[in-house]
Order: sequence, then C-alpha cells, then structure tokens
Amino acid sequence: MAKITIDNKEVECRDGITVLQAALEAGWDIPHYCYHPGLSIVASCRLCLMEMQMPHPKTGEMDWAPKLLPSCQTPVKDGMVVRFNSETVKKNQRDCMEFFLLNHPLDCPVCDQAGECYLQDYSYRFGRAESRMVDQKTVNPKKDIGPRPLLYSDRCVICSRCVRFTREISGTFELHVTQRGSRSEIDVFPGRPLDNPVQGNVVDICPVGALLDKDFLFKKRAWEFRPANSICPGCARGCSIRIDQDEDVVYRLKPRYNPKVNDWWICDEGRFGYKYIHDESRVKGPILRRGQSVTRLLWEEIPDILRFRFQEHVEKHGGDKVAAVLSPFMACEEAWLLGRFIREMAPQAALAMGPVPLEDEDQRFPVGAKGEAVKFEISKEKCPNRRGVEAILEQAGGTVLAFEDFIEKAGADAFSAAWIVGGYPKPWLEKAVAKKLSGKSELLVVQDIFPNDLMAEATFVLPACSWAEREGCFMNIDGLIQPFDWAIHPPDGVKRDGQYLFEIAGYTGLYSGKRVRELMAATMPAFAEVLAAPQLAAHAH
Amino acid sequence: MAFEPVLLKNVGVEGSRTIRVYESRGGYQALRKTLKMTPDEVVEEVKKANLRGRGGAGFPAGVKWGFLPKDRKRTLLCVNGDESEPPTFSNRVLMEHDPHQLIEGSIIAGYATQSQVAYIYLRVEFHEVFHILQRAIDEAYAAGYLGRNILGSGYSLDCYIHRGAGAYVCGEETGLIESIEGKRGWPRIKPPFPAVEGLFRLPTVVNNVETLSNLPHIMERGADWFTSIGPPHSTGPKLFCVSGPVKRPGCYEEAMTITCRELVERADLGGGMLDGRKIKGVLPGGVSMGILTPDELDMKMDFADPANYGLLGLGTAAAVVIDQGTDIRSVLRNVTHFFATESCGQCTQCREGTAWMDKVAHRMERQGGRHEDADLLLETARNMGMMPGLSICGLSDGATYPIETIVKKYRDELEAAIAAQPEGRVQEVLQAVN
Repeated sequence: MAKITIDNKEVECRDGITVLQAALEAGWDIPHYCYHPGLSIVASCRLCLMEMQMPHPKTGEMDWAPKLLPSCQTPVKDGMVVRFNSETVKKNQRDCMEFFLLNHPLDCPVCDQAGECYLQDYSYRFGRAESRMVDQKTVNPKKDIGPRPLLYSDRCVICSRCVRFTREISGTFELHVTQRGSRSEIDVFPGRPLDNPVQGNVVDICPVGALLDKDFLFKKRAWEFRPANSICPGCARGCSIRIDQDEDVVYRLKPRYNPKVNDWWICDEGRFGYKYIHDESRVKGPILRRGQSVTRLLWEEIPDILRFRFQEHVEKHGGDKVAAVLSPFMACEEAWLLGRFIREMAPQAALAMGPVPLEDEDQRFPVGAKGEAVKFEISKEKCPNRRGVEAILEQAGGTVLAFEDFIEKAGADAFSAAWIVGGYPKPWLEKAVAKKLSGKSELLVVQDIFPNDLMAEATFVLPACSWAEREGCFMNIDGLIQPFDWAIHPPDGVKRDGQYLFEIAGYTGLYSGKRVRELMAATMPAFAEVLAAPQLAAHAH
Repeated sequence: MAFEPVLLKNVGVEGSRTIRVYESRGGYQALRKTLKMTPDEVVEEVKKANLRGRGGAGFPAGVKWGFLPKDRKRTLLCVNGDESEPPTFSNRVLMEHDPHQLIEGSIIAGYATQSQVAYIYLRVEFHEVFHILQRAIDEAYAAGYLGRNILGSGYSLDCYIHRGAGAYVCGEETGLIESIEGKRGWPRIKPPFPAVEGLFRLPTVVNNVETLSNLPHIMERGADWFTSIGPPHSTGPKLFCVSGPVKRPGCYEEAMTITCRELVERADLGGGMLDGRKIKGVLPGGVSMGILTPDELDMKMDFADPANYGLLGLGTAAAVVIDQGTDIRSVLRNVTHFFATESCGQCTQCREGTAWMDKVAHRMERQGGRHEDADLLLETARNMGMMPGLSICGLSDGATYPIETIVKKYRDELEAAIAAQPEGRVQEVLQAVN
C-alpha cells in the first residue's frame, strides 16, 4: 500500500498502479480517453495531465514541477503529492476539449453514442461552451470497416483504444491509424476488414461515437434503457453482461467488468446471440393434452394438477418408473426446485442431464496465445450451467444418468413418466432421439422455449423462458457461481420457470433466486457464498 | 586564430567518398587510436570535450552515453540521418561527400557505448546518399573497420542502413526507434528513456550524423583542441546552413562564435543579400526555433544566446533568410502548413492545434484575416504547450515557437495587412478555403 496526496487529501492505494487509477478508484472524476484499464498505456490524449511535486533541481526542496505530467503513465510512489484541482490542470482540460471538438461534427441528435458519450460528458464538465474556430471543419469520411462496426471518422478522437484492442486483446491486427495530423484516421488494410469473433468490443471501448454497432444503429437512444445485470448464457465461461432493454424489448448486450471471468470483454457470439428471445415461434401458454383434446391450462391450476398426476402415476407404476431430464440452460435454483419436486413425488426417480452442446475447440485471445498470455476465452461448451446442474444432481444422489443412458433406458421402456426440460436456443432434440423416446411415456411433461418433436405427444407442455426473463445463478466452467437478474417480462401467457417450479415444488409466494439459494445453502454451502457475493462494479470506462 | 574546417575538410576533394582518399587524408587513424583506449576513457574524453548534440536539442553526447545501464548485455546505436528540418542540409553534405567520416564516428561511438549494431536511419528522400553510404559501408567491411573483431581489437560492430518513409517526426529519437522497428513513427512516452529501453527494448543510443562526425576529430586531436573552439557552453566546430535570397547559399563550418548577421553577410559565408535586397527576417535554426527581425541579427549562433531573443534554441543552425518583398502572411502559412502536415497526430494539442493554426494562417494569406486572429494564434500556440510542452515529444514546442515569434515580432505588419483587406473578404474566404 502506498500513501499519496491528491488535491490535499491523503489516499491509500495499491502498489504498482498509476496515479490516474488511484484517483479513479478513490472517487475522483479525471477525464481521459486513451487510457483504458485493459489496454496498454499510450498517454496521448493529454486530458489526464496533473501537477506533481518534485524536488527542485537546484535547491532539492519539494516544489510543483514546471510541467504537467500524464497521470495515466505515472506510477504511484509513497509520499507523492499531486493535484488535479489547480487552474493549470483545469485550463489544460478546457483547452483539450476545445481541440477535440474543433472538427467534431456536433451531430449528437443523430448519433447513437449520445447519452453515453464522453465527448458530451467532458465538454459539459470541463469544456467551453462554444468553438472559436470560424473556419470550415476537416471532415474525415464515414467508413464501413467490417461486418459489425461502422466507423464515423469525423467523430473520432484518435485515442487508439480500438487499434490497441486488435493488437493486444484479439490479436488480429486489423485496425491501424493512417494519415498524419488532424487528418489521422482509423482504418483497415485493403481487403482485410475488421472481422474477428470479439470485434464488438471496439464499439464498447470507443469513448465517442466513432465506432458504432451496425446491429444497434439508429435503433434506440441510450438514456431510454432500463438495464439489468446478467450473465451471458452463450457458453460455459459465463461473462458478466448488462442487458439493455426498454418496454420488454432487448436492444443490445454490453459487457460488465468482471476480473474473474471476462475483464471488460465479451464475444460477438454472446453479444448478438440473444435475438432468439424475441422469436415469434416461442412456446406460449401451458397446455394439457388428453388423447386428442388439447386444453389451455391456467397457471394457478398447474401445481395441483401436476402433483396429482405424478402421485397417481407413482401409486400405479412405482417410483422407479419416473425420470426427469434437466437442462444445462436451467439456473441452479430451477434445477434444484425441479429435482426436489421429482424426488418428493418419487424418491427412486432417475434424474438425468440433458445434452451439452459442444463445439470442437475453445477459442482463446489474443489469437494463438497460451497460458498466462490468454486475455479472453470462449468456451467450446455452448451452455451456461452444465456444472451447476451437475452439482445439483450430485447432491440429489440416487439414480443419476447421463443423457445417453437415459435414452437407452427410456427406449427400453424403463420409464413411464418423464419430465424433459429443454430451453436451448437452437434445436436440440435430434429426430432419432425423439423417435426413440416417442410413445414411451404415459405422463410426459415437456418444458421448452421452442417447439420440439416430443411436444405433439406431451401430456403437459410448459413454456420455458429465456435467460433474459429469468433470475437465478449459473456455475461457470471454472466452478464460479454467478447470480443474474431478469431484464424483461416473459411474453404474454408465459410465466417464469423459477416461479412455477417454485410453486410446483410446494412453496408459496414470490420466487427469487436469493430465497431459493437460502434453502439450497443448507445442503450446498457453496450457494451461501453467492448470497453474500458483493455486487460487481459497473463497466469501468 | 583562423578557423580551420575539419568536418568539411574532405568536401570538394576528388574521390572523397572512397575509402582510399579518406584514408590518404588521415582517415581511420582516430579509430585505431580509440581502439587502444578503454570504452570508459573514450566516454570521458567526449564528456571532457563537452560535445553537445548537433540534432537540435544540444544535449551533451557523453552524458547521454552515461545513462546506459552499467549491467547491460546488449546495446544498439542509432545514427539519426532523418534530417527533415526545412532549411537544413548539413547532414546531407556530410554523408554525400564524406561518408567514411560518419562511419568512423559511428564505430567510435559504438565502441564507447559497447554497441553491437549501428543502424543508420536515413530519410527516404536521400536516395543518392543511400547508395553512397551503402558503398562506403561495404568498403569499410572489406577493410576490416566493420564486422567481427575490428582491427584485431576484439570489438565487433555491424552497420545497417534503415530508410524511413518520409516523416519529420521520425527525427525525434523515439519516433525513429519505432520506425526502425517497422511501426508507425509515433514518439514513445518517456520514461523509459531509450538509454534504458529503446530499440527492440534494448538500451539504445541515438546520435545525430554531425555529432558522430565530430568524434574522429575529438579522438584524433583531443578534447582540449575541441574545447578551444567556441565559447565554453558551445564547443567545437559547427556546420551552418544558409538559404534564401543570399549570394552564397550553402553549408559552412565555423566556430559557434559567429552571429546570425555574420552568417548571412560575411563574404566567406552567406555573402550578403542578392541584388541589393533587404532582409525582412531570418529563421536562424531551422523553422522550428522562431524568427529574428533585422534588428536582432547580432544573436550569437550558439546554444545559449537564442533564448535571449525569444527563440527555442539553436536548432539545426540552418538560417533561412526572408527578404523584404515577402508577405509575412506567406511565411506564417508556410510554417503552419509544414507542421500541420508533419504532426504525427498522436497528442491532441499538437494534432488539432497545428491544423487549426494552419487554417487561420491560410485564411490570412488569402486576405481573410480577422483582427482577433493574431491573438487567437498566440493563444492556440500557448494552449498547445510551449516549453514546458504538454505533448509526448517536442514537435509541438517546435511548431509553436515560429508562430509565436512571427506573430509577436511582425504584429504591426499583420494588423496593417488585415486592415487593408477589402470589405466582406473574410466571409468570402471562409467559404472558399479548405
């Protein structure tokens, strides 16, 4: 720990960090563009300059250095004295803001960045009201640099964050600076567009409206969002994200800083992989089938009907004829509630784990990095909670099957009552598997987000919600349990999985992840820690 | 005591580029002498001579070498031949006419710093120089002055030429290092200084061509001879360039005791103005140091006196003379245009400030000046940071000094020119320019 003095206040800070980091962490609001905690330091925007005390070269006495120094580049030293509140420092900030805005088109009304733009924020706080330049502005062109982002060079402040991102994080080196002086532009090399699996991040780290997301272009104003903190369900890494939604429509996902998992980044697959949640073909409303007749059930009736039907079945056929397939897309709480219900109905029931979607290989960034050098990882396991569900199955004990064994047994008429959970964004039940399971169960509950081949014969069809509508926690591939909030309401007629499972499992009142984790913690102490987990810091700019 | 040129002594001699002629005129003797000394003795000798860097900043070369860490394993030497300051051509003369003098100086510097490789960084426009220098390097290799075990001393040095891509900023030492590494010539943030972590992250020394060309003479004649020339703060011979409407534009060698007036008017130097023209001003140190009015020409061309005249320093000691017939607005615009195109674009103040000042100067040149423009230029120049600067490198200081001195010293003329503009001209120009 080093002790330094900022603006006459003593601040304790970690060793080895820079003055800017120390000041930001201690609550100072220091303007900066080029500095990003995840990237190398270039000290080129010159906004964070500070005054520092140094021994006078002749007398040796401590005095203010004659020169302003970049705080982003100066490491803290015990006993250091700096200030940001002096007139010299403020004047530099004001002058810098004037320079930044000289050639800026001031087209905030049509710019997507408006509302979350650091040019806006800083010019309000540190800038001057009007430009003194009467001459015509230098207009750098708008450029299509790749499939995802669009580059408005005229809004660019040449902080070079995006360039450094492609060099230091993605390792793909697509971006560079061309031209010199105020004609400097970010560009790609001819025939080599910005196209890599993590390119969406350049939009996030752009402090101004220069790099914008084509997917989000002109869709929404940033201040209209009511965001929720969530965890990306795209793969087993479980990156921390923020869901930006308004009126139950999700417009975009943004990364949240999480040093344990994703730092400041997320991949494009996760970022743009949410579209399915607004798909028209989603399963809506609970259905009960008796022979050829199909009845729409009321949610209030379901717990009683289901309990009755399962009890009846177990009395008739015995408890070992009951099975449930849990999905790696379920939250831990939901899996626990369902497991609890099934085992309550039939203690000898078999529990199985649904199929885990796998790709060939993990993707690591920078491309080609190994070991310590890896800055970001995408797992080959394309589901968020295999480990969480596995942990719950393990704790449940009794008969626990792999999915293949379940199909095998089910095909051999081992089960006459089954509860099958899907929730996969992509079709998951292969035709051959569905055929094997077809006609085997007298009592079949299918809970899924999209229609699958077994639904036509299911006794009960329960709609599942997407993760954006649910609340709970996922355990990632490293065993880290991370809670996530719901962001939007489920579609009309659909109830949150957690809520109806809570009721089916015999509880009353409102479901909440925290409430269920309190119950789970009795047998699974790991979940007690999640209860106490500190709220993660918001996206660090 | 008459001044005896040493740096230019081979210029004009038939075959001066060849190793045969260079050796016949005493070349490579200093190197033989140097290799018998220890590296530390060489450093001490250069420190004693107080050889100040000839590239512009005037930092003592021996002191710069002294910053190298003691426990280093590898060291690299960069020879700065990126001579890009507008009216400057002294390095070019040295390399074109006497390439072996530079090579000998580089080997001496390499030995003193115990460098393994010397990179000569040439600006790309020096096509002819490149071929001359490359031939000289090949000759030096063949004669055993470069390569393994030089002259049986056990010391080895390899020498390569690296050609730039045409950027002023690559003459800044860390910009030069980035450029040799194959990157965009964006100066680095310091610390670490190149002596600690420079080219390829190794301890690196960057010295100017003229600085290194002085070394054979220091080693041959001794530090006392060197310090006997010029005032104590500006020792040794120095190359001066004169250009503009003078009778004898060219590159001359003199002690740093001459004044700017002597440089322009002395019969054996500039030779006075052409066809009875009158001097309006002189930019005495390349454009980036600032301007002198006719009344200020008694400034001494050394490392100390320019500061007394509001200039940044001696710079490259290349004087460009402006005659009375030149509109000061054109001079201003010429200077702003150069820096606006040569700013690397990394730091905000320099990137935006140089371009803004160029727009204003362009407008003034086109008769569209406003009365507040002079103050605006002065304030912009100050906001860009002037000694102490606000940017990573010194380019923005260099970009602001000429603007500030021109506007301050020729303010009356600027104001008069603006007052003489036709009515409504400003609006017209505002729409036409850019």
